[in-house]
Amino acid sequence: MEKREYRVPGMHCPNCKIWLEGLEDDLPGILQIYASYHQQILRIEFDDHLVSESEIIRAANDLGYQLLAE
Amino acid sequence: MIDYLAAFITGLTTGGLSCLAVQGGLLTSSIARQLENDTRQLIIKNAGNGKRSASKLQSGPLQNKRSAMAILLFLSAKLIAYTLVGFLLGALGSVFQLTPILQGAFHILLGVFMVGNALRMLNVHPIFRYFTFEPPRSLTRFIRRTARTSQSEFSTPIILGLLTVFIPCGVTQTVMALAMAAGNPVQGALLLFAFTLGTSPIFFVLAYLFTSLGAKLERGFMLITAALILFLGIISLDTGLNLVGSPVSVSRLFGPESVEQARMDLFVDRAVIQIAVENSRYSPNVVYAQAGVPIRLELVTDNTQSCTRAFTIPSLDIAEILPKTGVVSIDIPPQRAGRLGFTCSMGMYSGEIIFQ
Repeated sequence: MEKREYRVPGMHCPNCKIWLEGLEDDLPGILQIYASYHQQILRIEFDDHLVSESEIIRAANDLGYQLLAE
Repeated sequence: MIDYLAAFITGLTTGGLSCLAVQGGLLTSSIARQLENDTRQLIIKNAGNGKRSASKLQSGPLQNKRSAMAILLFLSAKLIAYTLVGFLLGALGSVFQLTPILQGAFHILLGVFMVGNALRMLNVHPIFRYFTFEPPRSLTRFIRRTARTSQSEFSTPIILGLLTVFIPCGVTQTVMALAMAAGNPVQGALLLFAFTLGTSPIFFVLAYLFTSLGAKLERGFMLITAALILFLGIISLDTGLNLVGSPVSVSRLFGPESVEQARMDLFVDRAVIQIAVENSRYSPNVVYAQAGVPIRLELVTDNTQSCTRAFTIPSLDIAEILPKTGVVSIDIPPQRAGRLGFTCSMGMYSGEIIFQ
């Protein structure tokens, strides 16, 4: 199990939270996901046997968000 | 029946514009949110097609339809809420009036919220992000999963529409008073229904033009919206400040001043000052008077149509609806040295009496 926290400077309104947290429906192996517009962060816990970090970053990219390592 | 027709026509003419001035902020911020969503979705769609550029956004008929839908929902919610209020007012049939102070506090809150949001949209400082609420996760998950199945998510305009009952404009307040005077829930409900229905067309047309135009202006539109919300927020703050009787308000900083001294009148044994109540101001709006001496305000209306007719002195709890044409005297007991603010019930026009 892996834990990551990213800065997401592209979040421009609270609804971005909804889109980003929607990753848990798009990807397998997401155990916990939390996004905050106020803090501009994404916190994620995932099972690295089912999904890789690069897959997560790519999926977020497809939604229009760039994830930057803390 | 005549009453309902009159209420409808009042709404159609003066009511629509006056209400738009007061409640437009709520609607524009709701539509702004809607557009932020739409923009976001379009970016995602474009990204999915391999087109990342946000500049390729277009206002399709779908987007216009959605804006129209949002406005319609806002107006429907408003209509329902006001009809209910009319029902309650009729049922109460007794005095139900937000005190000017409470109303002022509400306007100040709304103003701060709107200004904060405008600054957030303009990306002035991260702190302004806190002017929007982050919905709890369980709710966002629910919304997301509903949205994925059903497409539409219009709860914001509905809630905002319902909220407008807390900020009625001057004309609406008059109709509310009528509903209360009717002393019958059904009549009260019908009166406010007819009036609010009357206000809807102008609201819809202006708001729709605004959004479909805005969608074409793309990013610039966000700036315009932010500027507009900022402007309306400042008006709301100003209204609130006037209503709570604050010595400082934006309109008085920039507005023209006319100063006069209240003069002793031996016949009534108090100082008397005549104030002309015009459509867009009180003249004079600064009155000097002697402390410790009772004064009488003679409020003169001459075919006055605007909300200046709803004259209030918040700190003394004086509220008087003036006739269209006529003179109404208001006696003010002796005051200590200091200032006493007066304003119209909407806080749009104001003035002060300075006791020395």
